[in-house]
Amino acid sequence: MKDGALPNESRMIKVLRQVTVIILISLISAILVNQARPKGVPLLADWGPEVRLTTDAGKSMVISLDEARNLCLDKKAIFLDARSPEDYARGHIRCAQNVPWQSFEEYIDRVFRSIPDDAWIVTYCDGATCSLSEDLAKELASMGYEKVKVLLNGWTRWLEAGLPTEGGRNASHDNRRVS
Amino acid sequence: METERSFVKSHGEVPGLGKGGTGFLGGQWKRGGLLALCARLILGAVFIYASIDKIAHPEAFAKAVYNYQILPGYVINLTAIILPFLELILGLFLMSGLFREGSVFIATVLLVVFLGAIIFNLARGLDIHCGCFSTSTDGTNSAPMAWYVFRDGLFLLPALYLFYLTFPGKKRNPEGLPPPGYAEPS
Repeated sequence: MKDGALPNESRMIKVLRQVTVIILISLISAILVNQARPKGVPLLADWGPEVRLTTDAGKSMVISLDEARNLCLDKKAIFLDARSPEDYARGHIRCAQNVPWQSFEEYIDRVFRSIPDDAWIVTYCDGATCSLSEDLAKELASMGYEKVKVLLNGWTRWLEAGLPTEGGRNASHDNRRVS
Repeated sequence: METERSFVKSHGEVPGLGKGGTGFLGGQWKRGGLLALCARLILGAVFIYASIDKIAHPEAFAKAVYNYQILPGYVINLTAIILPFLELILGLFLMSGLFREGSVFIATVLLVVFLGAIIFNLARGLDIHCGCFSTSTDGTNSAPMAWYVFRDGLFLLPALYLFYLTFPGKKRNPEGLPPPGYAEPS
């Protein structure tokens, strides 16, 4: 007896059933474990930058472009460019030094030696989604620096505002135009 | 053998390709072939191993998911919580041979999605380690990502092999019989 249509159909239903069971088991066990454990994460969280950059005490580490500009022009803060040395060399905020977050271990000593505990620090990187600056800022805060701020999407906004920069070449000599 | 063939004809099912059958590893080996068993064990082990660190550090994994810049913010934590358990459960099902069709299906889909996500970010120049778009033209940030593409592609091989064995198409298998040599009893 040949059951022409049925094998494939019942096969599909079988797969669907198995997939549903596997996913349900995973879902239930995942959520149960997460809610029961002390290190669990909230099921819903706000991943916007303002929330990520608010300390437990409720203070925001975000600094506005205007405030950052004033701190730079009045030389009241140390700016740290959290991007790679290559990106830094191509252009950076004039008051900024380079402390690449992705090689931070090499820079820890230098930072400790040259930056006093009570100094204002502004970290920045490039792009609305870049997390280098906030990672650096949080690490500095955990090291004891109490006045650390993050300029979100710092490089792009600084450039667009026409504020003072250093390093790199201007657009007409940009070697990225080589095809 | 006669008994298996008549079983297929009357039940429309392919023996040894799911439903547990008789016996775990031993039974599966006899029906599925050594290569398929190895593929399942390796794939299952990879999934289990990959899940451990993510289950141990959900916050760090949530950050990693965020850095891919693909999913909207409100599903990030749910993904970070559920995905590692899916990998763990999947790995266990794969290694035990239970629910073979469902587990092979999910495994293949997951691996294709992971690979696609990395390739997508590689193509748009996003470094998944920091969520930043790299302006460097020397490719220093894309090297580790290229490695992930290679590695995930490698994992995809046993999955695709199992998928091919588990879901033979209509053209190759109009009566739903096992492919030659696949279900031969030893």
